[in-house]
Amino acid sequence: MAGLAASFGSGAMSNSMDDVAKNAKAFFIIGSNTTEQHPVFGTMLRRAVRFRGAKLVVADPRKIDITEFATLHLRQKPGTDIALINGLMYIILEKDWADKQFIEERTEGLEEFKATVMQYPPTLVSEITGVPVSQLYEAAEIIARNKPTAVIWAMGITQHISGVRNVMDLANLQMLLGNMGVPGGGVNPLRGQNNVQGACDMGGLPNVYPSYQPVTSEEARKKFDDAWGLTSSTKVGLTATEIIPGILEDKIHALYILGEDPVMSDPDTHHIRKCLEAIDFLVLQEIFPSETAAYADVLLPGVSFAEKTGTFTNTERRVQMVHKAIEPLGDSRPDWWITAEVAKRVLIGTNNRVPREAPFSGWEYRDTNEIMSEINAVTPSYGGITHQRLEKGERLQWPCPSADHPGTPVLHTKQFTRGKGKFAPIDHVPPAEEPTDDYPMVLSTGRVLYHWHGGQMTRRAKGLMEVYGEALVELSPNDAEKLGVNGKGIVRVTSRRGSIEAQAWVTDRVPPGMVYANFHFPEASANELTLAALDPVSKIPEYKVAAVKVELVG
Amino acid sequence: MTNKKIKYNPISPEVLEIAEEHHHTSEAVLEVLKELQDRHGVLSRETITDTARALDLPANRAFGMATFYSMLSLEERRNILRVCDGPVCWLKKAGVADWKEKAAPGWTVERTSCLGLCDHAPAVLVNDEQAGPVTTDEAQKVCEGWRGVPTEYSQVRKGETRVMTALIGKIDPDSIEDALANGVYDGLKSALQKTPQQVYEEVEASGLQGRGGAGFPVGRKWKFVASEKRTPRYIVCNADESEPLIFKDRVLIDTNPHQLLEGITIGGYACGASDAWIYIRGEYEYQARRLERAIEQVEAKNLLGKNILGTSFSFNIHVHRGAGAYICGEETALLESLEGKRGEPRLRPPYPPTYGFRGQPTAVNNVESFCAVPHIVKNGAEWWRNLTDDPTPGTKVYMILGQVNKPGLFEAPFGLTLRQVIEEFGGGMIPGSTFNFALCGGAAGTIVPPALMDSHIDYSSGPLKGVTRDIKAMEKRWTQVISMGAGAFLICDQNVSPVAFLRELLHFFAAESCGKCTPCRVGTWHSLEILDRMAEGKGVKGDTEELKMLAALMQDSSFCGLGQSVAIPMKSALAHFGAEFAKAETAEALPVLR
Amino acid sequence: MTINIIINGKKIEAQAGQTILQAAKEHDLHIPTLCYHKDLSPTGNCRMCVVEVKGGRFLQAACVTPVWEGMDIQTDSEKVVKDRRLTLQLMLANHTANCACCDVSNECELQELVYEYQAETPAWGTKGTRYKVDSDPNPFIHVDMNKCILCRRCVQACAEIQVRDVWGVAYRGFQEQIVAGAGTTLLEARCESCGQCVAYCPTGALSTKINYGQGMARAHQVTKVTTTCSYCGVGCQFDLVVKRGKVIGVASNPNSPVNGMALCVKGRFGYDYIHHPDRLTKPKVRRYLLEGGEKLKTNRKSEIANPKLEWVETDWDTALNITAKKLGEARDYFGSDSIGILTSAKCLNEENYLMNKLARQVIGTNNIDHCARL
Repeated sequence: MAGLAASFGSGAMSNSMDDVAKNAKAFFIIGSNTTEQHPVFGTMLRRAVRFRGAKLVVADPRKIDITEFATLHLRQKPGTDIALINGLMYIILEKDWADKQFIEERTEGLEEFKATVMQYPPTLVSEITGVPVSQLYEAAEIIARNKPTAVIWAMGITQHISGVRNVMDLANLQMLLGNMGVPGGGVNPLRGQNNVQGACDMGGLPNVYPSYQPVTSEEARKKFDDAWGLTSSTKVGLTATEIIPGILEDKIHALYILGEDPVMSDPDTHHIRKCLEAIDFLVLQEIFPSETAAYADVLLPGVSFAEKTGTFTNTERRVQMVHKAIEPLGDSRPDWWITAEVAKRVLIGTNNRVPREAPFSGWEYRDTNEIMSEINAVTPSYGGITHQRLEKGERLQWPCPSADHPGTPVLHTKQFTRGKGKFAPIDHVPPAEEPTDDYPMVLSTGRVLYHWHGGQMTRRAKGLMEVYGEALVELSPNDAEKLGVNGKGIVRVTSRRGSIEAQAWVTDRVPPGMVYANFHFPEASANELTLAALDPVSKIPEYKVAAVKVELVG
Repeated sequence: MTNKKIKYNPISPEVLEIAEEHHHTSEAVLEVLKELQDRHGVLSRETITDTARALDLPANRAFGMATFYSMLSLEERRNILRVCDGPVCWLKKAGVADWKEKAAPGWTVERTSCLGLCDHAPAVLVNDEQAGPVTTDEAQKVCEGWRGVPTEYSQVRKGETRVMTALIGKIDPDSIEDALANGVYDGLKSALQKTPQQVYEEVEASGLQGRGGAGFPVGRKWKFVASEKRTPRYIVCNADESEPLIFKDRVLIDTNPHQLLEGITIGGYACGASDAWIYIRGEYEYQARRLERAIEQVEAKNLLGKNILGTSFSFNIHVHRGAGAYICGEETALLESLEGKRGEPRLRPPYPPTYGFRGQPTAVNNVESFCAVPHIVKNGAEWWRNLTDDPTPGTKVYMILGQVNKPGLFEAPFGLTLRQVIEEFGGGMIPGSTFNFALCGGAAGTIVPPALMDSHIDYSSGPLKGVTRDIKAMEKRWTQVISMGAGAFLICDQNVSPVAFLRELLHFFAAESCGKCTPCRVGTWHSLEILDRMAEGKGVKGDTEELKMLAALMQDSSFCGLGQSVAIPMKSALAHFGAEFAKAETAEALPVLR
Repeated sequence: MTINIIINGKKIEAQAGQTILQAAKEHDLHIPTLCYHKDLSPTGNCRMCVVEVKGGRFLQAACVTPVWEGMDIQTDSEKVVKDRRLTLQLMLANHTANCACCDVSNECELQELVYEYQAETPAWGTKGTRYKVDSDPNPFIHVDMNKCILCRRCVQACAEIQVRDVWGVAYRGFQEQIVAGAGTTLLEARCESCGQCVAYCPTGALSTKINYGQGMARAHQVTKVTTTCSYCGVGCQFDLVVKRGKVIGVASNPNSPVNGMALCVKGRFGYDYIHHPDRLTKPKVRRYLLEGGEKLKTNRKSEIANPKLEWVETDWDTALNITAKKLGEARDYFGSDSIGILTSAKCLNEENYLMNKLARQVIGTNNIDHCARL
């Protein structure tokens, strides 16, 4: 999101899924295993290709499922996305396929950017990425000559040390082609979790208040101070990937975790465990005794989505109702109630920080509808999104500033949030860890269709476990033969940080020299192996590239 | 695909190699499966899945094909004897059970719907070689190579007007020189002197009606195709002659393949088409090879291929083999099959002239229709019309079968009566036989009693022509009309029970229903169930009424012509032989097995 | 272009290119259908929607027959009703007649029409169990082809909605059947277990296995609550099916803005975690928090051996007070920025807002984040 914010002034999926699926002439999917991670959107794309004849270029080292539908599949080496994108833009400029009018009217910074792109001639790009020159030309032609082309990505782009720059380069590509602000085009980062968009929108980030009002802005600070009667400093806080290591650095002494499982989902599990062991106090609000629960001092039983009412915001900024279907199980309570109770009790307990009298200084909420009213008041993009409107069947995508606003399916139609779109010169940076003689293979990580993230929910779904019941390490037939894995066998994958043992799944999805593992199963979680090399801006870890060695165990 | 059931499993090199020969196009799925079937005598699920993968098809599509076409099999069968189970062979007392008993060891015996060898009945297909007439007493000999006595067609019967059959016996069908010397391709040469429009207008003026059974004007169809803007346009020749009683197309191909190629090429010129496919039923392997030889010969003479005879007209003809499915004679099912799909009829409209093969404008015509064309182009529409005084112009190739003295094939103008067919052309009933009923048109034709012996038969008076929704009027019609169909007559004597005979027909239809729509899929099967018990003397009260209801449903509600036309023999039999069916319902009914 | 047609003697306007069914629907005229579904391309297989068109040779399937100027249509003539009834009876020839035990009873389109047309199972039907009941080992999808009427909606849903092409049609005539892949199991045929086929099946041939026999569709026994999926960011909506206080299933809700009827395997079938016995249902605190004393920062493995670290179930007041006290102490002793807050991308907007407010107002820190980066 930080990348898009730099290019356009705000970061979110610019178009809607339905719009892209219906109107794009071509798709460029890079770093998104769409059919497994966003399955229903994946099928929308398949339909567009099969029934509407839309063209599809997929750039992914792995032969992921959606490549079956691809007009062209580019198998770049992991961690070489910038070189690839620059190479495509080199060809676009060389062939004079850029949208000059759009560039003229809506962007700035072309010349400097151009100078950088010109350092990436196809032969060099082919050398860096491993993609044949002819395929580079073919891809550039498909992407440039079918208008609009929608660019779609997910964690495969952002989970690199160059994640933000990857994103900015994709923004460059779409500005170059004039695909911004039009139906069927745009930059379309697919958000992972059901409500990751909403968590960001609601200020669940160290640098912004709700609606991306920067904490560094005195104006924003004052606004919330007035609303809440008290707020924090203008200093940007720590990210999740800094908070936990911050324990060992003596910066963090207490943690309040709501429904997250860092032991499973954060890189370098071994280190995470060491940090959590050292915490003074950890309160975990969860529905299951997760891997992280072992390190908690207090466990507060929250509820599942079936037991509460409120809203989620999906990847296309669409706010939708969640309805309570059953009563909370046992003595569990809705999470909003628990948080409010904690807040109230902290406020009562000391005289250190006492909010002034202010419209929203208090913590008495009867239901989430009341919380939403408060959100409406302080969150401009959610100003007009109320439970009442949603219950009536209105379909709202933010920005929706007022009660009579219909919502915004496509962003940046007239101008970018920052005015003109900014071309940024971006150079290729090699991944933090590259294969060596000792660790000759590349590990990439991610999820599979049948499981979800740390697996707390899906490992408790019987049928899903029947279909995919244990960690599998994807290994190419080529490497399998070298290792003597004959169809089936346990392999040990070792990185500089740790080692896991899991069943090998021989498949041509991965190219020779690469293994792919997931982090759904605690007994063999890929995050034992990943490194905490962070993107300098977004602080996203480089999950997609780590150097490993693989041995046959039995 | 991350599910542990999916193991890494590269496609077998053999399948890949065959797929490669067919350029990995999904259209070729039937050919690839047939090739694999021929090599291994069986199609395993692995082979089918590999075929699908090699052709970029879902596995279910290849499996759907493998189980749709009767010549493909999931069970091993090398050295296969396919015993014809059609009504003509049934009359000749051919029995699958007998064959099973008497065939040499190592042979698989299987029933098959009509082989199109009615003139050779009883007939069998020995691997891909046609044999007949052969009886079970000759089973050993058949396994060793005996194929029966070939039928002779060169004898002109009294009253015949031979146009399309004129060169039978006069030329060596495998010799292009013979063909050229006898004026074959003169029609094409004269067509190339005209504009395409002149050609289809000439054909339209001749009043030539499609000979597949429906009787749609050929020239008009070509005009539709020619006036479509989209290219490429295609010609498809329907040589999927799979209806019991019908074998004329086989004879036309066997005796003069060049006449057909010439007609198709003229059609291609008139329609502005680039390519033609002859869809020939898989059981006609011998004739398919003959066509392929002939195509090679004409290509060498520049009568086909690039810039035919120095004109700007280029045209190719391809031979495509079916694999055992009567429904593929329905033109849209044929197109589906040609595209590598199950032979299920398409929704219409759009019709093939606007949306045909590969979705392009396509003229689909019967073999006999194409065979008539060169003569019309060469001699003019006027000449064709003057061949007869009947409202339906020109001549027709007829087939006469059953208990007559001279069964076989003859060509004559329209407007014959059943009496003429039997007496004049068929040489009368065989001694000891008296005429009981005839099945006219084809398997989906009318069952006709002696009372209609003198009715006039042509395309203007078929059973479904001008059908109204006036139920009484319709019921009356069933007692009056005779089908022209593809021009076949199966003559049955007093020893043939209409109940048992109808059972045989339903046996065929139930085996050949594609299964797409409910009325035909279950209706044919349930009708057969009823007829089976009636023919065994186990009929129950209400059976006739139920048959009538099923016939009415199939005719009114079926998806395609197959289902709709099953009702024709059912309704006519019930209308004319109600008493026999009523008898079969009663407790004292005796088995009416033939 | 507007054209005029007559349905059941009534003049109505229709649009050129519309089918009879579409035109009738616009005027609230009901024509029964089975193989037809608005999301799928019409095939005209089942022949339930046949109508009589004046001047037509045969009855026409309303779902596929386009209207033309002056078309005169009877949707319920005696002949039509008779044919529909018989067609239904023919379908029943391959359908186990045991509605009482069927999972989809009350929501079965076949059952509804059979009742409407009083199409009794004929004496010669049914053919009983021609196929194995529960013939596929897929853990989510219950397959009973004895109830299949070969409408092919599953085949189309798989091809046209999911674009996976698992289901297909094999064999022919009365032997015709729906198969997965090359007649294999669903998973071998690369099924993604999305359950689209189940959602579109008009009978009980395809149903949900995980709650088989619980009567998902008995409207008077269940409540359906429309909600938003808790897995990925696509934001599919569906109905949770609740029976006696328990979520027993997920049903497609055709009005869902993003996904329509479509769902993925996790959304449709991954709900049983809700009632999993592992659910935390009581607040718990470590014993040392109740008995006083310092936290022993120790290796996780020795946790069990150390009685001070044992979990003790408590009431909410105790747990909340301890939490508030500890957070307050940390804040006051080490400063606001000594506390880290991880909010949740799985929780509601409202809840995330409160976590943000808690961090910034109550604690006074911007150290708040969630797994957006992970």
